[in-house]
Amino acid sequence: MSSNSLLFSINNEGKVYALPTNGSCWREFMYLGLEFKTLSAVPHFLWAVGGDRQIYLHVHGLEIPIRVKEESYENERWLPLEGFTGRLLPTDRYHFSSQDGTKDRSIDCIRLPSMAWQWEGDWQLELTLDGQPLDHDGWSYAVDFPAQFGPVKQWKSCVRRRKWIRYRKFSAMNSWCAIAPLHKDPTQEPFIDVSIGGNQIPYAAPGALSVWAITAQGRVMYRAGVSTTSPEGLKWINVSIPPNCDIKQISVGPSGLVWALLWSGRAIVRKGISKDCPTGEAWLEVKSPNETKLTVVSVGRNVVWAVSADTRVWFRKGIDGNASGCSEMAAMGNGWLEINGNMVHISVGINDQVFAIGGSNKSVYWRSGINTTELTGKRWRMVQANMQVSRTSSATSIVSSASNQKHQSLSLLNENTLELKSNINLRNSWEESHSAPIENTLPLKPSKELKQKISMNIENMDMTGKSYETTLKNPRAWSPVRSVGSVVGMEAQPDSDSSVFDLDSGMFFDEEVSQTAWGTCDVAWSFVASGACSLDSVQPPHWFSDSQNVHNTDIVAKWRLQILDELKTRNNSLSIDVTKFGIAIEEKGWTRSCESRKVNYNNTSEDCIISLYWHASENTGTMSVFQPDGTIKFIFNLSEVTSITSCSEPGSPRISLTIPTQSSQILKIQFISEMEQEEWLNVLVDIISQIYGLSGRPSDTSVWVVTNSGDVLNWDPAPALLTAEKSAGNYTKEFQLFGKDIQKGYTCMLYNNFPPGSTLKVAGCLFDDINRFHLNLQGPEIVKQRHKIESEVTEIPFHFNVRFEEGAVVCNTKKSGHWGPEERYQLPLIPGQEFTIKILCDTAGFTVTVNDKHFCFFKHRLSPENITSVNISGPLKLFNMEYSSTSIIIGPDEMFWKMIGGYLRKVECCANNIVWGLSHDHRAWVYTGGWGGGPLKGLGSTDGIHTMTDTQTYCIYENQRWNPLSGYTSTGLPTDRYMWSDVTGKYKRTREHTKLLSRHWHWISEWMIDYNTPGGVDSDGWQYATDFPAPYHGKKIFTDCVRRRRWYRKAQINTEGPWIRAGSTALLDLSLWAGNDKDVSVWAVTLGGEVIYKTGVTAATPVGNHWEHINSPQALVAITVCNNIVWVVGRKAELYYRDGITKENPAGTSWRLIEAPKGNIGSSHKSGAGAKMVSLSSTSAWVLLTNGGLAVRTDISPLEPCGKQWKYITDCDVTYKHISCKDQEVWAVRSDGSLHRRLGLTADNVLGVAWQLILNVPCVYVSVRGS
Amino acid sequence: MANDREVLREIWDGKLPVCFQLDQEEIMEIQQPDPFYVMVPRLSYFPLVIDKMKRHFLRYISQENADNEMWMDYNGQPLKWHYPIGFLYDLYCGNDPQTPWTLTVHFSKFPGNILLHCPNKDVVEAHYMSTVKEADVLKHRGQIMSAMQKKDHNQLWLGLQNDKFDQFWAINRRLMESHGDNDGFKHIPIRIYAEDGTCTQRLISPKNIDGSRKIIQQLITELYPEKPVKLRTHGITIPLDTPLQWLSEHLSYPDNFLHICVC
Repeated sequence: MSSNSLLFSINNEGKVYALPTNGSCWREFMYLGLEFKTLSAVPHFLWAVGGDRQIYLHVHGLEIPIRVKEESYENERWLPLEGFTGRLLPTDRYHFSSQDGTKDRSIDCIRLPSMAWQWEGDWQLELTLDGQPLDHDGWSYAVDFPAQFGPVKQWKSCVRRRKWIRYRKFSAMNSWCAIAPLHKDPTQEPFIDVSIGGNQIPYAAPGALSVWAITAQGRVMYRAGVSTTSPEGLKWINVSIPPNCDIKQISVGPSGLVWALLWSGRAIVRKGISKDCPTGEAWLEVKSPNETKLTVVSVGRNVVWAVSADTRVWFRKGIDGNASGCSEMAAMGNGWLEINGNMVHISVGINDQVFAIGGSNKSVYWRSGINTTELTGKRWRMVQANMQVSRTSSATSIVSSASNQKHQSLSLLNENTLELKSNINLRNSWEESHSAPIENTLPLKPSKELKQKISMNIENMDMTGKSYETTLKNPRAWSPVRSVGSVVGMEAQPDSDSSVFDLDSGMFFDEEVSQTAWGTCDVAWSFVASGACSLDSVQPPHWFSDSQNVHNTDIVAKWRLQILDELKTRNNSLSIDVTKFGIAIEEKGWTRSCESRKVNYNNTSEDCIISLYWHASENTGTMSVFQPDGTIKFIFNLSEVTSITSCSEPGSPRISLTIPTQSSQILKIQFISEMEQEEWLNVLVDIISQIYGLSGRPSDTSVWVVTNSGDVLNWDPAPALLTAEKSAGNYTKEFQLFGKDIQKGYTCMLYNNFPPGSTLKVAGCLFDDINRFHLNLQGPEIVKQRHKIESEVTEIPFHFNVRFEEGAVVCNTKKSGHWGPEERYQLPLIPGQEFTIKILCDTAGFTVTVNDKHFCFFKHRLSPENITSVNISGPLKLFNMEYSSTSIIIGPDEMFWKMIGGYLRKVECCANNIVWGLSHDHRAWVYTGGWGGGPLKGLGSTDGIHTMTDTQTYCIYENQRWNPLSGYTSTGLPTDRYMWSDVTGKYKRTREHTKLLSRHWHWISEWMIDYNTPGGVDSDGWQYATDFPAPYHGKKIFTDCVRRRRWYRKAQINTEGPWIRAGSTALLDLSLWAGNDKDVSVWAVTLGGEVIYKTGVTAATPVGNHWEHINSPQALVAITVCNNIVWVVGRKAELYYRDGITKENPAGTSWRLIEAPKGNIGSSHKSGAGAKMVSLSSTSAWVLLTNGGLAVRTDISPLEPCGKQWKYITDCDVTYKHISCKDQEVWAVRSDGSLHRRLGLTADNVLGVAWQLILNVPCVYVSVRGS
Repeated sequence: MANDREVLREIWDGKLPVCFQLDQEEIMEIQQPDPFYVMVPRLSYFPLVIDKMKRHFLRYISQENADNEMWMDYNGQPLKWHYPIGFLYDLYCGNDPQTPWTLTVHFSKFPGNILLHCPNKDVVEAHYMSTVKEADVLKHRGQIMSAMQKKDHNQLWLGLQNDKFDQFWAINRRLMESHGDNDGFKHIPIRIYAEDGTCTQRLISPKNIDGSRKIIQQLITELYPEKPVKLRTHGITIPLDTPLQWLSEHLSYPDNFLHICVC
């Protein structure tokens, strides 16, 4: 599941090993001359007690570095004569202060917390304020300090301030880092145990961790200030213990719960640990089971496991991690339960999975069958992973060459001065490079001399094509025994040991190649730490010999090949001609029907029976909807369906079918059960894909869409392109005219506009009593809201009007709602006649042919690209109408949107067939090329189908109003919002009635108060305001009459889909671009608002190698990339572009601000607006504004990556929520969720002419950036 | 899990060329009827594939026999309709392949002491479903079948009747899943037939006492300690090192039993 989770172990020699869940080999940590005693892990952070009894920290597996922004405000006051000066009034804040002015933040006093940190660049000024550029000194002005600062200096500006920022980075990644000892002499009070946990303390701020340790003198120490952004913490705090308690072991659970074991074998529990009091209140004693002596205890979320001195295993009942802070019973549990098996060590990991070390064979075991309902599991299964041939414990030590040079540099501290010098070189060049250097790009190559000296006894074990060398004879880790303060135990190397951790944990890691360097040798383990190991109990890793490994070998087993071979040749010996034999079972169509409910527009529903008929060999199918009494309501061909999506609501499993040819267009069906809904979804998607002939991976020209139910849809134009008939360089489409009423006017869309080269052919018969009829080639209907909503066609480039009563044909053009001068011609037709009219468009004008004779030529007055439809009206009958165009004509009624499978929020594609997705929990996924999974199980093959999970947070608000008698109560005024509501207050939401969407979702938390609501909260989570629709603040003041607090609950979906995880970095937005060469640009914005890009992405390796990090001026929210041009959107809605990106320098040089688009466009968007998201094509950028409008930046080129001017889409007053463009294609999702395509885009007309509705199912995301 | 689709597909697509001839005694017309040639699926049952053949021969027989139950024999041996066709062929022609397999069709003298009566296809369905249930009792103590809905049972049957691999395996997959942590089935549903057609059915575990996978060789020594035999199914001889569990998952007939001939 999680691609980078690791199980850690120590063998009996004190060496540390890691076993990745996606691999099957133990990998040894770089041995530095230091053995380890104990380990404790949470994801990415590993704490250990070394052989020197000191504590070490190992940070690993983070794809982007830990960065912390230091900021300081420089304040100045205006004084007469002197002007602005740093001398402030005594009542003022410090010259350099924090934002609220309460803390002194002198720049020279802000230091790195330890040697594990490095500065990234120097102090810099922030030159924007809320997206507005400031002058180059960066000052902002105000009347006085606690006031609103503005960018412009005014006469009343008495103070000014500017913001200095500097980033620091944790550079000791992937290396052991010593934690400062308690005393100057580290041997005075060594440590005996350490434990990390607390990553899920209820209500705590995200990123908080808690670390506890035991000293040799039996003191319990708590490490203050440990978090994911401060992995080392700040200092040790002594936690007092009851008298006569001699503690030997300690364990912290994910919820912060602490259990400790005494030398006497008794256990004590810390009570009262909460987010506000991480050290807890007091110790409670727990009775040992049956008076046995416990030797190891390990705390999970809702469990505590222990082993006793007689190797028996014990499970503690009744632990509740969530409540452990406030309830003694929940912290202590209520009884021991013996579990079979004999173990000497035990460790509880993520999701309460349990690992242990066997008493007799010292192997690692996993307890299978543990889930939330069965916490004790079923049985022990031995972990049987291959073992890397140890690099240190035997003579044939091997290290991969990739890590070798770094490895050498590790030892340089202890070598002679020559090496020290080169070491300095290394550091300097390192600091010049920016934040995330690529692995193996360290510029220093060890000199030959040096290499010889170090590797004296090389045994070249060329096993995998790489050359291996022996390690140093006596490398010495830098022990803190001689250190003062918290320092790094070795040279600060960002990625020193890639042999243990591939930075990208290797979806395409070729395990087979490296398998040769591993052998299966029995190892006696002494310690296991599973706190970072996220194991999918449904799909366990390939660690167990009794599981899937067996099947894998079955495939190539001799007996299986023999069976298959014999089966295939069974009938070969036939000496007869089998063609004269009939088929015993004839192909028949099949039907399937069920009772269901048809859901109407207004959400009412009526009983109906749906029935599906499918004939596989004829590839046809129909679906009928019957009334309960059996009378037929309507029937349609399955080839008319253009999309099938699920549109379930909690408790109402539904499917929505789009049928453009039906009058209602959308058919929503509600099923009796979820199972039935999924089966029908499965069958319908399967059959209709067969009808359209879709199988295999969609081509890279596909358009990808995500619906609001998380379904991923794909329309692939490639099959249509293949089958389209091309005659004389033109594509032709015939329109269905049966049953159309021409009298009242018939309009149909011309999907490719009417550029030169297009023709329209109409054949029909005039009625005898005809007076006049017309044929218009016209532009889009413009919807105007005057006193009522009206629609009008204002542009008619060609109006062809036959008037029998006047005996003439009138041709004209309507331009901006006004007719131009008429051109009159002789009447070519008589009433009652059959006719054909052909209109050909060329660069100069329209040539009209009537009944195969040239009739007239009409010069263009308006560009024919404005034509989007044809309108014919008059008393006549049409036989057929043909529209031909130089490019292929695909209308929305021919686009089948195939459901691909998986559950995502965003999908981005590019040429080269690389597709990435983002889920709601901000994880990145890459499309594997498969089809199916989840409800679509069994459609495609199982290749590339993987488990997917996603987490969503449900939020509801509890609202209260103050009254003089009883204070804040839940009785509001009659006009007030619901006392339990959503964020807008319009909808009633209660905790009890919040239901999950389907059986694939489950709750993973209880309802909890959110203490991190924006705006701040008080100690009970309340936010106050003067009235409901008002800004909320955390501190109650006198005028506050209402308050609210936010409750949240997390739910998780478990499904499958053709997607695989791409790294562990949480992403907010991403953009892909594939140029003509093989390399693909993948740029992304992390959850923290930083910009990263991926190296090494190609069609063969869609996941790429590493993330490279780029400093950004502001926290960003959106990004787009095209042709080495990158645009980003900041949190304050400002736009930047990246300057200086070239092939050689893919990171570019600097960020430049782009002039903001004007917000007040259109009639209804009065408020100013910044950018919300942007999509770049090679010449223009389409920007979605915060008010939902669209702006287009034109004339973008590599020389001018910021473009020239803003243009605005004003032709309709609707708002949008997403847009995607590439070259001449622009697709957008409107706020109502409908999907539209922009028509009439040309090189000259970058704005296009009109929107065309493509799909009317609620969508959230579209990507057309394929080729 | 039966996840070796290639083998499953090959098994499913196995067909036999059959030549039906009307018994000379039945012919009431001067003109001799043509033999009827047809490719029949090995996995199917005769009553499911002989509708056309029956229509073909009906006009040559005496009208008083037209409503009688039809039956077939091979070399004078009446064929039991309740066995899969492929198994019947392996039983009678396994050692001496005959192509096409020539069968004689009768409309009279129904050998009621040897054959079961089969008035219509519902009887076949009832027999088939009860065999699947029996197999499931052996494999999973019957838990999977009883947890299935009626329509799943229906789909299983229709999949077999209409020769629809996907339709059939969508359901049968569940029957072939192992119990719990990949322990394999509780017992292997297996019927072993001697050359004279007598059937042995014993409780056979897919694992040896030490927990390792039991292979065919071990099964043979268990059942036939006195003399080594070869086992045949689906027209092939089973390699001796084939694991029994795998065999059951992939080479069972649609009734979920392994029908194996000793040769």
